[in-house]
Amino acid sequence: MPNLMPALPEIFLACAAMAILMLGVFRKKDDMRATATLAVVAFAVTALLVSGLGSERTTTFGGMFVIDGFAVFMKTLVLVASGLAVVMSVGFLEREEIDRFEYPALMVLATLGMMMMISANNLMSLYLGLELQSLSLYVMAAYQRDSVRASEAGLKYFVLGALASGMLLYGASLIYGFAGSTDFEVLARTFAGGHGAPHAGVIVGIVFVVAGLAFKVSAVPFHMWTPDVYEGAPTPVTAFFSVAPKIAAFALFVRVMVGPFGDLADQWRQVIVFISLASMILGAFAAINQTNIKRLMAYSSIGHVGYGLIGLAVGNAAGIRGVLIYFAIYLFMNIGAFAVILSMRQKGRMVEGIEDLAGLSKTSPMMALAMAIFMFSMAGIPPLAGFWGKFYVFMAAIDAGLVTLAVIGVLASVVSAFYYLRIIKVMYFDEPVESFDRPIGRAMGAILAVSAIVIVAFTVVPSPLVTEAEAAASTLFGE
Amino acid sequence: MYVAAVFLPLIGAIVAGLFGRWIGDRGAQVVTCGLVGLSAILSIPIFLAVVIGGQPQSIELFTWMQSGSLDASWALKFDTLTAVMLIVVTWVSFMVHVYSIGYMHHDHSIPRFQSYLSLFTFFMLMLVTADNLIQLFFGWEGVGLASYLLIGFWYEKPSANAAAIKAFIVNRVGDFGFALGIFGAFFLFDSVVFDAIFAAAPDKAAETVVFFGTEWHAITIICLLLFVGAMGKSAQLGLHTWLPDAMEGPTPVSALIHAATMVTAGVFMVARMSPLFEYSDTALTVVTLVGAFTAIFAATVGCVQNDIKRIIAYSTCSQLGYMFFAIGVSAYQAAIFHLMTHAFFKALLFLGAGSVIHAMSDEQDIRRMGGIWRHIKLTWALMWIGSLALAGIPFFAGYFSKDMILEAAWGAHTPVGTLAFWLGIGAAFLTAFYSWRLLILTFHGQPRADEHVMAHVHESPPVMTVPLIVLAIGAIFAGFVGYESFVGHGMQEFWGNSILVLKGHDAIENAHHAPFWVKTLPVFVALAGIAMAYLFYMFAPALPKMLAARFQGAYQFLLNKWYFDELYDFLFVKPAFVLGQGFWKTGDGALIDGLGPDGVAAASRDIARRMSWLQSGYVYHYAFAMIIGVAAFVTWYMFNMG
Amino acid sequence: MIQALVFYMFAAIAVAGGVMVISARNPVHSVLFLILVFFNAAGLFLLLGAEFLAMVLVVVYVGAVAVLFLFVVMMLDINFLRFREGFLQYLPTGALVGLVLLVELALVFGTWTFAPDAASVSAAPAPDVAAVSNTEALGRLIYTDYFYLFQAAGMVLLVAMVGAILLTLRSRPGVRKQDIARQLARRKEDTLEVRKVPSGGGI
Repeated sequence: MPNLMPALPEIFLACAAMAILMLGVFRKKDDMRATATLAVVAFAVTALLVSGLGSERTTTFGGMFVIDGFAVFMKTLVLVASGLAVVMSVGFLEREEIDRFEYPALMVLATLGMMMMISANNLMSLYLGLELQSLSLYVMAAYQRDSVRASEAGLKYFVLGALASGMLLYGASLIYGFAGSTDFEVLARTFAGGHGAPHAGVIVGIVFVVAGLAFKVSAVPFHMWTPDVYEGAPTPVTAFFSVAPKIAAFALFVRVMVGPFGDLADQWRQVIVFISLASMILGAFAAINQTNIKRLMAYSSIGHVGYGLIGLAVGNAAGIRGVLIYFAIYLFMNIGAFAVILSMRQKGRMVEGIEDLAGLSKTSPMMALAMAIFMFSMAGIPPLAGFWGKFYVFMAAIDAGLVTLAVIGVLASVVSAFYYLRIIKVMYFDEPVESFDRPIGRAMGAILAVSAIVIVAFTVVPSPLVTEAEAAASTLFGE
Repeated sequence: MYVAAVFLPLIGAIVAGLFGRWIGDRGAQVVTCGLVGLSAILSIPIFLAVVIGGQPQSIELFTWMQSGSLDASWALKFDTLTAVMLIVVTWVSFMVHVYSIGYMHHDHSIPRFQSYLSLFTFFMLMLVTADNLIQLFFGWEGVGLASYLLIGFWYEKPSANAAAIKAFIVNRVGDFGFALGIFGAFFLFDSVVFDAIFAAAPDKAAETVVFFGTEWHAITIICLLLFVGAMGKSAQLGLHTWLPDAMEGPTPVSALIHAATMVTAGVFMVARMSPLFEYSDTALTVVTLVGAFTAIFAATVGCVQNDIKRIIAYSTCSQLGYMFFAIGVSAYQAAIFHLMTHAFFKALLFLGAGSVIHAMSDEQDIRRMGGIWRHIKLTWALMWIGSLALAGIPFFAGYFSKDMILEAAWGAHTPVGTLAFWLGIGAAFLTAFYSWRLLILTFHGQPRADEHVMAHVHESPPVMTVPLIVLAIGAIFAGFVGYESFVGHGMQEFWGNSILVLKGHDAIENAHHAPFWVKTLPVFVALAGIAMAYLFYMFAPALPKMLAARFQGAYQFLLNKWYFDELYDFLFVKPAFVLGQGFWKTGDGALIDGLGPDGVAAASRDIARRMSWLQSGYVYHYAFAMIIGVAAFVTWYMFNMG
Repeated sequence: MIQALVFYMFAAIAVAGGVMVISARNPVHSVLFLILVFFNAAGLFLLLGAEFLAMVLVVVYVGAVAVLFLFVVMMLDINFLRFREGFLQYLPTGALVGLVLLVELALVFGTWTFAPDAASVSAAPAPDVAAVSNTEALGRLIYTDYFYLFQAAGMVLLVAMVGAILLTLRSRPGVRKQDIARQLARRKEDTLEVRKVPSGGGI
């Protein structure tokens, strides 16, 4: 009998998912209020369980599943992101009349997958967690099945995702072929020092694994699906995509790279540096021409992943701490920005053009202020939180001697400031065309306010998050 | 209690600022006044606990930044110095909050005003409770911001905007020095926390730094830089030009920020840094000189101004000069004592002036007033009290503190101190003169306003007069009550460790033993000033005009404020414009824009276009990109690993 | 020796079949080639001594999945030719990239080595094949060491099912479906009305 305690949150969430499904099926009405509420409650309880378990490193299920400080930190982020995403979705889906009870259930299942990814301690559990998450996401992308764009998005995501999974599996099989095990601890022992230059097959295997994971975090050149899927999928789904799965996939990325392959850092660093650079540059440049705000957010998220990858490329405790801080901040910036995007509704119709934001400062000043905060923060303008996120990864990079990476990162963030500031310019200096429908709803307003406050508050009170991130990062390095 | 006293105004500011629309004008007034009032009430037990109970407090809230040896926390430090400032700031602020209810009742954006006031109060409290230089700087910049917002409160008026910008920019010069001072302190002491700096100061007293090939006394450099910051904030000679213009703001703002509290931040800061300044005689000398010249300069200008608020503004400037030269002769206690009494009577004068302006339908020129004392007797009486206190007529608050400063300057027994003493005496004469000039022209004589205005002259409502009365009580009794503990025999016990005065710097001690003529001279010159004002403006009104005509040059010189603005305009503003124009048109427009931003921007757009072209929408393109990516990585490793 | 020969035969046919799956012009042929690939993969499993997996592959993939594919492909009238437009255009580049990757992988496999303790590590969790049957060995692992993965796979399948239903099931109005419960619940009174019709009067 394996020790079930470490996996208690996951078990609870799995049961909750099934309970939500049952409730949805046996209720006569096909709406999602009840299931969404349940899902939020489930996320909250799971988050409590996660934090209640403590951050002692424990493995279970024959070493397939691990919890540690890192897992607790990342799971908390993911649960917060998922919870907020559910809350943001309800209004939109109801107005679009696509509020079906499966939606929250799928979100819960996807989140379950993410938690399994974060806690993966074996290439196989990694893969299964990843697939559980991805499959849910494919379905969610195509969720608005009467919309051609959504179906197209779902299909593209699915096909490319399958390709990426194939690459991942291929890489995993090469690694297994060399080491004879898929267990992270065994792999770490196999690759630990001593054995000289690693075999080419292992490197190729790692390259394939990296390719598969890079797809999931949408790093260049495995990012191509991102803009299309972000644009095509229903907006709340996009909001969800841009945070929770990204954070979870990044957690997985970090765990794999510094865990089993930690001693091969000199080898894989080159790939990570490249995709980091490419992501930052592409995220900065390609967004400039966008007119659709969801597409813009897609490129923006690609850029942010690039910055996160800097921290991974550094590969020590300071770098990972930077990553953790970066994504914690990213979560709130993105959720907030999407809360604004979800409120872009004119005469009952959703609009997605950047130009539609014109004159927002006059029609809804508070919303414009919040959006301006998010945009400034994303652009990394001090003293907002986004600046500190970048600061920590850049500092880690410079300390580790990756100066070029940091310099190009700064340059890329300057370029990307162009389109963030353009949004602010449109909101504050262009004449309003038509105001958005009011009210935006209490939940939306609350999310906006909370996100904005978090972004501003981090400047004043950075220490809790920084300390937590530091503790979480150090657990990966057994310090 | 300690934390609440500081943060209640912030809560008020947030509530009134963000939710002003929902809670309405009345709600905003109630909330801000209530919270600041609560904070004022809390300040009393704090004062009692800290000063009378002799228990300085230091409350660490949480870490702010930690980077290498730079370690700054959000912490509240309460010692005697802070406690005194706390009382002054919260009570004056409270009075001004209440007064504003009446004064601003015509205004359209009352919640915004109240919110700014409360915000200012919060920053000011942050400043006085700071336990390290960084937090002090935070409060310092915060009050600067609040001051900017409040000067430009009537942002429809171009002059208000210009004044706000001027205040901000001139203060920036000072802040630059202040920031450099902080860097210097951190460089020398490897800490920004006061206690650590003060503890280390004696050891570093002889330290020198080599800079531009010359050796400098380290502490002197730091002190001078910090003093530059103080000069900016406290409008000392050279950086004073913003203060008179700042009178564009609503009158309660002038009373609170530009008379009672913010402008004294410089004095407070230097007093707080006394353990550093004490080790630099050079710095103290500079402080004395700047203070003394400011005192006399501002007093001369004040004598010929015609705007009621500007006269009081120059008077503020002059009084700040007094405080600084008191500091310069190591009489910090006297400076803070004067700071406190000054806060009461100057706020009283300003608010009284506001009441007059209110009564005269927004007329500010004293040449168009006169003869209104019969109509607004209460305001008139209160203005008299304020002026008596300001002129240092015996047993009003100003008498105790100003005389103490002058005696201390004499008691320093240094050439500079003696110079300061005589300049101070001269300023005292002028102070009395311009105060009575103001009183006589405003209240007495024949009415010079048109009948329409005169018909409307009315006493202000109680919500405005009650704060005036409270302040008047302060203006009468604060000096008498505080004398013994602030600068008298209870001094040591009262101040505890909050102010350090080295042995040998015993100006205050000497002051108590000053000869009779030193003690009485200020009173006599004040009376002489009053007498002269009566002569000029009551009995022989032709005399000033004649004098002005005779000494046309001197009169114009004073009227134009010693041509400081024109000088700065010529020295800095014009060249900056020319330089800016040059850089803009040729340097920036042609060269940098052409190659730089425009060129880079064009290139960026081009790259962007190519990149979006990559995004074709075809799945197999995407898949292809992924495979090429993997293939490229594998190839890279193949070649690299040989 | 014979084993090696058989292995290469199965492997070669599987790869060739795979190529045919994607290159056959007729989609029905593609599916048939897919079935061929499955059979050969099953043969490879047999060679490894994993007869249970081999049989499952045949039963599930060939018997169920591929046949379902066949139905779908035959029922949908899709012009697959149109999909192939532009195929030739990318063929040279694609072939080049593929070739490069292939050569590199060949290089890697040509010099393949194992980690020193790979064999012992990989053998550790499996039960003794000689002692227990294939099925039993799998069962032991799945329900013990790999229990977590087994459950996770179950969740994946659940998502797949939910997703399929969500994306395809729609309740159209006016569709006549058989509802046995309703049929059984019907009573005579609800449906039958007995009327006396006066003769010659009509209703």
